[in-house]
Amino acid sequence: MSSPLSSRKDLLIDGAAVLSRWVLGGLFVWMGLQKALHPEPFIILVRQYELVTNFYLLNVISAVLPWFEVFCGLLVLAGIAVRGCTLVMLALLIPFTLLILKHALALASAGSLALCAVKFDCGCGNGEVYVCHKLAENSLLILLAAGLLCVHRRRWCARFSLW
Amino acid sequence: MKKVLLEALGVALVGTLVAFLANGLSPRGLVLDHDYFPSAGAARTSHPASGTHTNSPTEMLAASLKSVGLELIDSNQVLRLYHDPRRDQDLLLFVDAREEDPYAAGHIPGAFEFNHFHAEKYVATVIPACQVAQQIVVYCNGGNCDESRFAALALRDYLSGVSKTNLLIYGGGMTEWATNRLPVEIGERHSGRLLDYDAVATPGR
Repeated sequence: MSSPLSSRKDLLIDGAAVLSRWVLGGLFVWMGLQKALHPEPFIILVRQYELVTNFYLLNVISAVLPWFEVFCGLLVLAGIAVRGCTLVMLALLIPFTLLILKHALALASAGSLALCAVKFDCGCGNGEVYVCHKLAENSLLILLAAGLLCVHRRRWCARFSLW
Repeated sequence: MKKVLLEALGVALVGTLVAFLANGLSPRGLVLDHDYFPSAGAARTSHPASGTHTNSPTEMLAASLKSVGLELIDSNQVLRLYHDPRRDQDLLLFVDAREEDPYAAGHIPGAFEFNHFHAEKYVATVIPACQVAQQIVVYCNGGNCDESRFAALALRDYLSGVSKTNLLIYGGGMTEWATNRLPVEIGERHSGRLLDYDAVATPGR
């Protein structure tokens, strides 16, 4: 029989997990929609990163990625395939954060600026931002996603695991 | 862990399919097999020979536009063209290569809107006007903005027999135009509403 203290602890962890899902899922939906509904600025930004030279690949990345973010965000909000989704989100967040850092370091070096003085549109869906704010935001999202991946909390999940 | 990986793979596969479908159904979706940045590779790969002097950004921009058959004009030239009587007869056109919202917020008076990402929207209006024009000045925000280049290239694709001297790129763009407090039209083309710089500078007075 669980003690009141462990029940309270469970409730707090459950609450934190639900809040993390809503924050992570909500942000992914919001940022994905900003890009999906305005794909032209996004494709220009993706091109600036010079990840691909083939225009077809550029178009596919720019067209698919925003809607993919919305899809993952909706799944996490609803609590469906939570761990699989958060693993996919980590696979998106970590390389993208490193790419932003690399681009920011290049801009800082070119302009002889401090890293935190660099401001640019990273293609995240919220316009020009100071890079340090963006890195802090992404780090928080990575922590939330990693936490959800490790913590098996099914409260208010439509279908926590697909099997 | 294996189940989580399989779940992630499933999410990725289904998510990708849904994303392709959503892009296809969205009225603002990208056309996957359309090159939105034609000749960008040729323009970007030109490098100055070793031992030559460092070119200014304007010179580099002029050279890069020249490599794709476009001519760069400066603020003095664009102002002369703006006051050219041919503009009133639509024999000299200004074309704004930016998106709908920045265009509506303010554009060079009489300029056509032409977003090269959705060029098909302008086939009925802009293209016929450009076909009879003697000169076309294309601009965007200026600075690092490439949209005027790609809009001009898209226009050239639609217009047959357009020579280099007909299509001009105003490098300074809307940013320079507004900084010089030149006339700015708000809303749609020929709306008659001009931006009041003083009202913008001192709101509430």
